[in-house]
Amino acid sequence: MAEALVIEATALRKTYDGVDALRNLDLAVPAGSIYALVGRNGAGKTTLIKILMGMARATSGNVRVFGQNPGSSDEGIEIRRRIGFVSDEKDLYASMSVEELIRFTASFFPRWRNDLALEYSRRFALPPSLKIKALSRGMRTKLALLLALCRGADLLILDEPTSGLDPVMADDVLQALVAHVAAEELTVFFSSNQIAEVEQIADRIAIIDGGRAIVSGSVDELRERYCRIQLIFEDAAPPATLRSAGVERITRSGRVMTVLSSQGSATVLDEVRDLRPLSVEVSPVNLKEIFLQSVTVED
Amino acid sequence: MLWQKSWLETRWRFLIGAILLSCSAAVTVFTYPTVKELLSLVQGNATGALGRQIRESAELARTFPGYIWSESFAGNQRQWITLFAILLGTASFLSTSGGASFTLSLPVSRRRLLAVRTSTGLAELFILAMFPALLIPLLAPAIGESHGVASALIHGFCLFIVATIFYNLGFLLSTIFSDPWRPVLIAIGVAVALGFLDRVLRFTPLSLFDVMSAERYFRHGAVPWAGLLVSVAIAAGLYSVAVANLVRRDF
Repeated sequence: MAEALVIEATALRKTYDGVDALRNLDLAVPAGSIYALVGRNGAGKTTLIKILMGMARATSGNVRVFGQNPGSSDEGIEIRRRIGFVSDEKDLYASMSVEELIRFTASFFPRWRNDLALEYSRRFALPPSLKIKALSRGMRTKLALLLALCRGADLLILDEPTSGLDPVMADDVLQALVAHVAAEELTVFFSSNQIAEVEQIADRIAIIDGGRAIVSGSVDELRERYCRIQLIFEDAAPPATLRSAGVERITRSGRVMTVLSSQGSATVLDEVRDLRPLSVEVSPVNLKEIFLQSVTVED
Repeated sequence: MLWQKSWLETRWRFLIGAILLSCSAAVTVFTYPTVKELLSLVQGNATGALGRQIRESAELARTFPGYIWSESFAGNQRQWITLFAILLGTASFLSTSGGASFTLSLPVSRRRLLAVRTSTGLAELFILAMFPALLIPLLAPAIGESHGVASALIHGFCLFIVATIFYNLGFLLSTIFSDPWRPVLIAIGVAVALGFLDRVLRFTPLSLFDVMSAERYFRHGAVPWAGLLVSVAIAAGLYSVAVANLVRRDF
């Protein structure tokens, strides 16, 4: 049976003043997953999130959240009723106090969790009477997270939830998120350029670059599929082109040729035998290497 | 709760406006005895355009309602209400105090967000127009004068209706420009240009500022219904364009 998809995008394109922010992006986020959208600054992560939230409209292509179109006014309202959202800027109403903003947000969500609001207020040490404009960035992030977690949402969309936080505070926020997701049945879709935090909490990942999803899949599956094959030659590495399926990148440096394969090592090893390398070494790659290899241009 | 948010975000502009307009109305009333004393010094044979204006002002100031009309409804109140209409209109719900993406993440349509913000702004503008106007008949007995409440209400109402044009102009501009200053400066520029056309070039086939001061009502007792209807239509047109702009805008 096919997995139920919470977010589905096909051939999604978004253009700003003639410049493509998203180019034929395909994405499928299964229910119950913790899905990380990873990419460099300007890769299109925030644009995609804005389209999912109905803040921007796609130029072409198809996007569905809970099977509905976020670009439609009525369907967008229904979608947002089921989403807890934290924006990249963590911009909240400066003129309200923490307590006022919690009360304000609660009034829009019938499934608002007062018990959780109290619990997170204590845990994050948020002073109820303090104005938002007086909060530090870290405190504002925690408040934004509280406001997202307590909505009783089926889907959390978090745009760079830990950006600008020191490592201790970032860990604090991630711990709270992981504990919440473990206790509630929900889907998390978050963007990040912090590979370490992605490895810490995500079970699925899409690497986005130049507005396209260039790699996607479960984190475990990617780790199994991807490997690095290092070949050392007697003289300079030959300028060979490998035809094996799954060859993502070939880099050469002196006598060393490094091949990144996304489909294991077997077929590549068969092919490189003809090049007569002195030695061959196959090693696993971590997410950071997959990311770096995927988004950097071949030397 | 959206009403509360709108109020919190515009309250300072509104309160400052209420204080300034009320003080302006009170000062106008309480300076009348002094003005009356100075009237005897105005020479009746002053010549030229300036002399004619001085004679007209002096003539109007011989009666308390004439003085109030020229100094307040066709003077200070008209200028202040125009300025505060622009300031309230440009207090866009997506820029005054941050939180644009937070607001747009709520399960509320943009049209509803705009309707609430506009209703709040127009209610504040209505109070800014009516309250100082009503202060005049209230304070007049303190200097031994009187002013009709109905007349004050009609003048306040005309101020309000025309001011809604500037409110919606500011609102429209705030949907076009993302910074807070350009909408304010452009709207003030438009108001000054209209005033220039009106007063200096005497281009007054349908003067917004004449409708605002209800000159026809003051001189002939006729409420300028046509001008008010045209003003409502212009304001509604500006609002519609602003809403269409914001509904299709990407954030």
